[in-house]
Amino acid sequence: MTTAAQHAYDSYEALVEDYFEKGWTDGLPIMPPTPEKVAAFLECAGLSGDEVLGTVPTREVTCTAEQAAANAVMAGCLPEYFPTVVAAVRAHLQPKGNCHSTTGTLSGAAQAVIINGPIRNELGVASGAGCFGPGFRANATIGRALRLVIRNVCRGIPGFLDRASYSTPARYSFCFGENEEASDWEPLHVQRGLAPEQSAVTVHSLMKMVEATDFTSRNAEGVCDTLVTNIRANGIAGDAWLGEDGNVVIVVGHEHHRFFVEEGWSKADIQQYLWPRLNAPATSATDRMARIGKPEGILIVAAGGAGMGASWLLLPHLALAITEPVS
Amino acid sequence: MELEWAGVPSIAIVHEEMRGSAQAIARVSGCPDYEFLTVDYPWVPIAIWSKEECLELAEIMAPKVLTALTGQS
Repeated sequence: MTTAAQHAYDSYEALVEDYFEKGWTDGLPIMPPTPEKVAAFLECAGLSGDEVLGTVPTREVTCTAEQAAANAVMAGCLPEYFPTVVAAVRAHLQPKGNCHSTTGTLSGAAQAVIINGPIRNELGVASGAGCFGPGFRANATIGRALRLVIRNVCRGIPGFLDRASYSTPARYSFCFGENEEASDWEPLHVQRGLAPEQSAVTVHSLMKMVEATDFTSRNAEGVCDTLVTNIRANGIAGDAWLGEDGNVVIVVGHEHHRFFVEEGWSKADIQQYLWPRLNAPATSATDRMARIGKPEGILIVAAGGAGMGASWLLLPHLALAITEPVS
Repeated sequence: MELEWAGVPSIAIVHEEMRGSAQAIARVSGCPDYEFLTVDYPWVPIAIWSKEECLELAEIMAPKVLTALTGQS
């Protein structure tokens, strides 16, 4: 007999079917959140079950560590992943992580979970070839755990408070690491004020992701100009509530990264080059202002494998990218 | 390999970044020791190469191809 919370089932299949029936999954099977497993997850994070990780005031939601642990078990996480899941949940449920808007929006915004620091290698978080998934348990299940929390705790259920017109496959799970070993670039979490040895999670809600391909440029400036063109083709409206702190995330691919390294460009150099060009006035419907308040609001992340002359642009929804330490 | 099997002397040229997948294809094709030539940086794996870049690369690779096919340098 398989036991989960207060329910008992004759078989695993019966449990899974009942969870589907109750609407507690993302459409894929889950692992049973047995009390023993939930307790093991909480112990791994050093948390009591009633510890509050965050709230969604508009929805009358309070997310506890026990709820997050149950969903992390369901997602297929290992216990040692749970502190990272906790950091992701805390980040997303910060007021300017804006859970209510980013998970309810017609646009179907997704949440990218970017992992930095030693925990990446300890958990086997992929940051190189294929890092957007599928194929890597840590990436797949940590990202899925956040999404199950959004569904089962924060009430982000399609047709209820999730009003996405299409949604996106990135909402099943979207988690990857920064390839900190690829160069001496300052890792994202260090740029955001944390120590290099501190592991951290950055959650960025994205309106859409756009591939910026450039097989022609052979230098850093050329790649930057391609990034500008692709971001401005979409535009970034900015938002009064977010003020000057808005973000865009640029995942710089291996082949583009090489040019920056060869020419000695730091992340700050890229930010300084891009910022005025992104904020320049629109010239046409396909060349629009991308309003980012400060150069450091442009978050540069190295990730991905060799081959494609491409970087990915994670264009923001109405939220800030929030970085939380993994403790 | 298929050209080889069809009786056409041939040699594959792959980018160094694709060496792993070339070796994997050779292995699953039953030819784990299949030899191929590689191209490395500054020629990037996928690119719109200029005519000059193509000619420069051809000058480097042509002797290697001849050697691989004929055994003569």
